[in-house]
Amino acid sequence: MSAGGRPPGLPDVLAAERIKLLTVRSTWWFAGGLVALLLLMTVLDDGADGPVPARSLTVGLTAVSYFGQYVVAAFGLLVVTGELATRSITVTFAATPSRGRVMLAKAVVTGVAALLLGSAAAALGIGTAAARHGELPRVIGDAAGQVAATGVYLGLLAVVALGVGALARRSAGALTCMVLLLLVLPELLRMAAGQVGAPFLETFAGWTPAPAGWRLMTGQWEYALVLAGWAVAAMGAAIGVLRARDA
Amino acid sequence: MIRLTDLTKRYGPTTAVDNLDLELRPGQVTGFLGPNGAGKSTTMRLILGLDAPTSGTALIGGTPYARLRHPLRTIGALLDAKAVHPGRTGRDHLRALARSQRIPAARVAEVLEIAGMTSAADRRAGTYSLGMSQRLGIAAALLGDPQALMLDEPVNGLDPDGVRWIRTLLRSLAAEGRTVFVSSHLMSEMEQTADRVVVLGRGRLVADEPMRDLLAAAPTGSLVRGPDLRPLAAAFAGAGYDHGTLVVPGVPPAEVGARAFALGVEIHGLQAAGSSLEDVYLRRTAAVAQFTSAPTTKETGR
Repeated sequence: MSAGGRPPGLPDVLAAERIKLLTVRSTWWFAGGLVALLLLMTVLDDGADGPVPARSLTVGLTAVSYFGQYVVAAFGLLVVTGELATRSITVTFAATPSRGRVMLAKAVVTGVAALLLGSAAAALGIGTAAARHGELPRVIGDAAGQVAATGVYLGLLAVVALGVGALARRSAGALTCMVLLLLVLPELLRMAAGQVGAPFLETFAGWTPAPAGWRLMTGQWEYALVLAGWAVAAMGAAIGVLRARDA
Repeated sequence: MIRLTDLTKRYGPTTAVDNLDLELRPGQVTGFLGPNGAGKSTTMRLILGLDAPTSGTALIGGTPYARLRHPLRTIGALLDAKAVHPGRTGRDHLRALARSQRIPAARVAEVLEIAGMTSAADRRAGTYSLGMSQRLGIAAALLGDPQALMLDEPVNGLDPDGVRWIRTLLRSLAAEGRTVFVSSHLMSEMEQTADRVVVLGRGRLVADEPMRDLLAAAPTGSLVRGPDLRPLAAAFAGAGYDHGTLVVPGVPPAEVGARAFALGVEIHGLQAAGSSLEDVYLRRTAAVAQFTSAPTTKETGR
């Protein structure tokens, strides 16, 4: 009873996941929300000093680090918790029995979407701020780099969140885990480093996703590798658990 | 053809499916019956590879589901009609599913039409009634024009028109030589749809017989009509009398007629009343409930 023709593969699952991502409203709410956040920060910004030589560049950094990264984390985890909560994951796995392939396709689609969205939002925010402060010609080079770095950070962060979503299964639980990972973990490590006099913990704190993202966005591109490591670890754990667990 | 061999699934101390051997043949509708919790849905999940069996195998045309080259073109399934993202339209749900299988996008419109969902296809699935969700789920099952169909409680939530539509659809799919496996707790519906009945009780196979044999083996009762049948009703234990109609289960018409004659009761009609599938089913599952309680206690004792 086997049907003829070339069997479906990863490109087909990618195309299906792309359709799925673009056909739910939440995707567009997240996109609009992130852009609105960046633009809002350019208006609210009152010249805080930052680690970079121009105010417009500080705006993008703070907007993403204070708010934007949580929006993107929620976006990434919802891609899978949405399917787990509605049990529609069973339809997905019946169509594509390879759970690794499904998750890989989700990671690519979610990561690329967050990368494009993050870059676009950063470009809009930084561009608007630069124009407002009359810095545009001076910062254009640095701004381009920061826009790209922001895209890469948010793209990889979305993949981390996707993995955490599959592990936690529930949106609320996954979001809590992401806040702990982004906000609480680095602070705990820093406090512990001071308490027990172990400076390597301070170094570890700098390798957690949020501080690594900050450094990436300020031009330390080697931190892209650290974030890629987080993404690979989260997805590896997620795929392992999904394979072992009944759907 | 779908073949289950020694299929067992345990969840902790609970045995959901217990050493199930079953062969589903093409060209017939196999009805899958059993009380809630009998393991019907688990069996279907095991066939689709959604749950991993504790032991045993489930093969589709000799291949485990996970190794099928074209899963949805081989077997189309509806397990849970509500397992659709509520924010996505029915059409987009099917579009994504079709794309994942290299099924042409034009097929989406075809199955929507077959399922009578064309007019609702562009509404978000969260707004669908249970009946509409069932129709969308059946459209999804038909997407790959599969050789085998497996539907879990497909008539749930359907209106009488929908129920008749499913019955006709399943009959015609089987007539085309496909394997149709459908679970239901609606006996009367099964009686009209299925060629063969598989009954599950506490994860075990209770019956696996052609529908005709199952019904023929059941004792026949009698249906009597008359102006006042109360004296006749009193003559049979278990008889039910209501407004000029008397039902005497398990007693053939000849015996009832003879008694009516002896008692001098006026009757206007007397006919054989075959046992319904429901009667047969209840008798069989009741017998098995006692039969299966032994292994359960043995297990907890260990």
